[in-house]
Formats: sequence, structure tokens, C-alpha cells
Amino acid sequence: MAIVGRILQAAVGSLSLPDKSIPFWGFGDVFLGKPQNPGPLIQATVGDQLIIWLMRNFITSIGEPLSIIFPGQENVMVRKIPWGPFIYEPVQPQYRSGKMISLTNYLDEKQDIIVEYSFTATKPGIYLYESGTNPEKQVQMGLYGVIVVRPQGFNIPGHPNYMTAYGAGTNSGYDVEKILVLSEIDSIMHNDVLPNVYYDMLKFKPDYWVINGRSYPDTIRGDNISSQPYGSQINCRVGQRVLLRIINAGFQNHTFYLGGFAGRIVAEDSFPLKTRSLDATYEKTGVTLGSGQRIDIILTPTTPGEYCLYDREYHHLVNKDQFPGGMMTRITVM
Amino acid sequence: MPVINLWAKDGYLSTPDGNSIYFWGFAKSESDPAQLPGPYIIAKQGETVTVNLYNTLSEPVSITFPGQPGVTAGGQPVRPQYSDGKLLSFVNHAEPGGMMSYNFTPTNPGTFIYESATNPHKQVPMGLYGGLVIRPADFKPEIKEYKTAYGAGTNTEFDREYLLITGEIDPYLHRAVENGKPYLVSKYLPRYWTLNGRCAPDTMLMDRVDYLPHQPYGSMVMGLPGEKILMRYVGAGIENHPLHPHGAHTRVVAVDGRLLRNGSIDLSYKRFTVLVGAGRTCDQIYQWHGLGYTPQNPIPTTLPNLRNMGVGDAGWTMWSGSPYLGVKGDIPVGVVSYNEFGEYYFMLHSHEELQITNWGEFPGGMMTMVAIYPSLSPDVGLL
Ligand SMILES: [Cu+2]
Ligand SMILES: [Cu+2]
Repeated sequence: MAIVGRILQAAVGSLSLPDKSIPFWGFGDVFLGKPQNPGPLIQATVGDQLIIWLMRNFITSIGEPLSIIFPGQENVMVRKIPWGPFIYEPVQPQYRSGKMISLTNYLDEKQDIIVEYSFTATKPGIYLYESGTNPEKQVQMGLYGVIVVRPQGFNIPGHPNYMTAYGAGTNSGYDVEKILVLSEIDSIMHNDVLPNVYYDMLKFKPDYWVINGRSYPDTIRGDNISSQPYGSQINCRVGQRVLLRIINAGFQNHTFYLGGFAGRIVAEDSFPLKTRSLDATYEKTGVTLGSGQRIDIILTPTTPGEYCLYDREYHHLVNKDQFPGGMMTRITVM
Repeated sequence: MPVINLWAKDGYLSTPDGNSIYFWGFAKSESDPAQLPGPYIIAKQGETVTVNLYNTLSEPVSITFPGQPGVTAGGQPVRPQYSDGKLLSFVNHAEPGGMMSYNFTPTNPGTFIYESATNPHKQVPMGLYGGLVIRPADFKPEIKEYKTAYGAGTNTEFDREYLLITGEIDPYLHRAVENGKPYLVSKYLPRYWTLNGRCAPDTMLMDRVDYLPHQPYGSMVMGLPGEKILMRYVGAGIENHPLHPHGAHTRVVAVDGRLLRNGSIDLSYKRFTVLVGAGRTCDQIYQWHGLGYTPQNPIPTTLPNLRNMGVGDAGWTMWSGSPYLGVKGDIPVGVVSYNEFGEYYFMLHSHEELQITNWGEFPGGMMTMVAIYPSLSPDVGLL
């Protein structure tokens, strides 16, 4: 039981697509000072208390009120500096003149310095965190990230939960882990959005599809090359258990195809399918994820080689109408 | 050891509204027409399959077999193919005028797709896809307990089986390909939705009718009351389709060619509608035990008032005009009966109802019927 604290700021940044750069809004670690997409990966262990500070950005602010919601986490509490509430209150939707303006307590960059959200990680799994204010605009602009909650003992060799996603007895042991966050980008929208100005989302028409913020072939490049620090290339050896943790942070559905392999789904929306009384895990060659859904799937490649993993909705495998591109990455089996 | 030859070719599809649409498809031989979907491949668990692809199109073509481990091409494990560092195919391809030979040994029985893995955003919607059925190693159709989808003891026995492959067609993009213009997926807007390459009402025609030379497979599901009808759905398009039959719920026994069972635990489940996702397959068993029917107890149907009947253009009356599973009655003037044998019909369709139109005109598209007959030859419903 530890305290996991993170100080996040939202900022305007520049997102690298394979053929151009566009503005985006992203969360960043306050000490690194740069926004990123997806936001910084937050890792915790069951029992930890998470304290997330959303801090005012005095220099590269997105210029709008903003907040963070934590889908899948219960009993999220909030307090604010310097104007209060000073003691924790449960988060609440926020209204002004009877109209809801935010799904949760938000940071008003004109007066607040810090909004502090806090909750206890009670269940292992992968979770989104994302903006709860003007979410139709802010989430699309890039304000989302991932929280991984691990079972106790996951890092202690010999512990029954060692190297498992959901603990002993859940068939979630792995050798290699990869988080793949799916989304899509309308580059025209990114160029046109202005802070505090209504943007008509009926015009939303994505032209780039991304994994961890990147379109193929950038997906298979290394980490930390751009505002999108997380690469998606997967490397493993024959017989290893590769845990793919797939999250749909976008607005469209995507059918992630496992390179011709069949994988075993061990958890859906972070509920393990194997419990003490029932093993309901099952195999698939591809998984369809709606917005906000998560799936944990284990592949065990039996043949060395190189395989493409991609969105089977093939119209999402292009950049500006050109194949190859979009929501695609690669697994190299040695 | 089955050897299957597939020729990638072009041709023209026919739609019920009179359109003729350029497409790419697989043919059984050099002299056979391209077809949509490609020829069904039926193979057996544990027996190596060879698929020889001959490419007569003007760009490289390949075939991927999702869910089949250890696929080789030209004797080597398949690999993504690059040209000037740019990905061209997910697996080894046949150059225009060339050929490529694939081998695999199915480890699992089930329903699978095969499809092009080269420019798939274009080639798969253009029609380069087909269905693959792997029989369990112990399959013996003449013995009831061994006529199963997933092997004896897996609770997947069936009496008849049907493969239903969904797809979508954007006629403008097909025309762009015909005219050598770029295939712009941002313009993608399907106008036809197909089952086994046909739009309703053509879906209800028999297999291999001679006026649909490129669309040889019908989709009419036929069976007897109480029979176990195995419906094998394959989503070959790039969109997701909520499909359901009327009349009874189905029991989903497998997804993506993988049995829903862990050891002795049966994980199959009942559904009304299943989402046939892009590239997904779903095997289900349908059984109709309607309303206490027995041959001695046919169920009378009262003829509705003519004004309440949807008598459309010729051939488009959904009410059959006679008591189902019983004695035939009179049919109103101008109505074409669909139940010459006293059979009873249920719709099977996409519940995304724009998709049961042909370019917006209902009825059409991704729709067919389940026909329950009072008696039926055992040869119906074989793959
Ligand atoms: Cu997609
Ligand atoms: Cu219906």
C-alpha cells in the first residue's frame, strides 16, 4: 500500500503524423513539461492510493477548463487548491445555470492552481483516464491516457501473482506485455479547434488512425521519438506468452486483428474471465472494441517470423487514403 | 491432401435493381468465372491443405488464412512483403501473371475466412475473399454423433449447415478500380450489402443459377422443424453487421473458428442477434420448434385481410398465402407464393436496416429467409 502521486498538466503540443504535424492537446508530467499522447502511463498496485494533481499550466495552457475522469474507478475524491473544497469530497458533475458543463470537478485555469483527484486502486486491470470537460472535443484533441493497476506481488519472483495481469489462477501470466491504445484523428479538426469556441463535432471525419497516438509506420519505430512516446512494435520469442492490453480511447469501433494468430481473451473491461469457479476465457483471431472498451489477450506465437497486427476494418489502414498506414503494427517472433 | 487452385480475376456482379458492378474475385480454374465469395474451401483438421493462387490481375495479390498457424508460402513461413521499404502485403504474394503456393495444416476445426492480404483496403472490398470450413478430425457425416462442427462430444451436432458470408459494395469505388482510378477509402459509402455475394431477393435463389454466373451461392436456409441447423457466419466486409434469424434464438457455439468450451465447461450461449464483425466468424445452431407443430397438428393461419398484406411488386409478398406446414390455401390474385410445399419462412437479416435495402430501396440487401419445410431431402444444406 503505497501512495502513487502524479502531477499532470494539459498543454498544447505538436503531434507527429507520418507526413505532417498537427496541434494537439495532451497531458504531460509537470516536471518534463511536455504534453504527450497518450498521456503519461500511470502504474499502480492494488491497494495503492492514487493522487493525481491536475495543475494549472501558466504558459502553454489549452485555454479551457478541464478535468480528468477515471472510468472503472470507484469512490474518486477531489479537493482543490487554493479555493477549496479543502477536504476530500466525492467527485460530482458540474453545472452552471442548470446546464452541465463538466462530467466531474474541473480545473478553471483562471482561478484554480491544482485539482487533486484521489482514489484507491481496488482491482487490477487497465483503465483509461481522460478529460471529462467538453470531452467530445478534448478527448479527440488527445487528452487521454492509461492507468495500469497490477496485482500485489506481480514484481516479486516466486509470488503466485508474479508476472500476471490479474493474479494467480486467472490464466493471465505473461512474459511480454504491450499496451495498445487505439484511437483516430481528424487532422482538420485538430487544426481548426480553438479554446472556448464551439466546435461542431458533426463534422468529425477522421483521416488518421492511431495506436498509442501514432499511425503506421511510425507505430513500429522506437519509444520517445515524438510527442507520442510509446511505440507499438512487439518483440518476443517462440512460445512466450505475449499479453496485449488493448484499449479503445477513440470514438469509432475497431476490430483489432492478431496477425493471423488466435489469442486467448483473459479479461474484458478488466474483469478476468477466469475465476475460481469458471474458466470463461476464450480464443479469437480478432477483437472488436467499442469506445472505452478494454481487452486483455494472450498470444503464444509458435513460429518465428514477422506478422502484422492491424485493424481488420481495412479502411483504417491508410494515411490520407494511402495504404499502408493507420492502425497497424508488427510483432517480431524470434 | 486437398489441393485448391484459386485464380484471382475480374468480372461483373449483378444486383437485383439491375446494376452490373465490376469486381475482383477468386475463380476455381483458369476457365471458370471469378466468383463472390470465392470458392468455399472445405478441409479437414490435421490434413495439410495446399492453396495455389494464380494472379491474373494487374497488381500483386496474396491470401491470408487467419486462425491457421504455421502457414507457409513457397515452402517458407509467410512474411510481410515490402517494396522500397514500403509494406505491400501482409504475406507473400503472387505478382501479376504469377503464382504463389500456400500450405497449412489446420489444428482446429471451425469456420474461417480467407482473403487477400495485399492492398486489403481495396482488394477485400473488391471481392477477394472466401469461406474456409475445417471439419473435425473425427467427422463422419453418416453417423449422427460424428456429424459435428467441432468434434464428437462438443455439443455441436448438426443436421444441415449453411455458410453465410457478409460483404458491402460501394459501386463508385468499384467503378474507380474498373477505370484505373485511385481507390479513395475516405469516399467509401456502401450502397449494396451482400450475403454470399448477393443482395436480397437474389439471396433466396438457388445455388448456381445460370443468370448469376459470378455469384454461385444462395443463402436460403432450409430445414425441418426441430432440426439442428448450423449457421456459419463470416464477416468478410469492413463493417460490422448485427445479424439475426427470426423464429428462434441461436446457440453460439464458436467464434473465429474456436469452440466456446474449456475442458468440460460448455461456454456456448444463446443469442437473438450477433455482431458479425469485420473478419470475424460465428458458428451457431438454430432449432425451430414452433408452436407445438407436428405433421398431425399443422398450424392454421388465418388469411389476413388483403388490405393488411404487404403485396408489393411481383414476387414480394412476405405472407405465404397458405397455412404453413400444412394444407395449402388459396392465394390472392397477383401474389406469388413462396411456399409451394407448405413451408414456413422467417427472415434472417442485418438489423441495421439501411442494409436491407438495395441503394436505399427496401427490400433488399443483407437479408434472406429461413424456410422450415414439412419434409425435405437430406441433400439440402450440405456444404
Ligand atoms: Cu477501425
Ligand atoms: Cu429482425
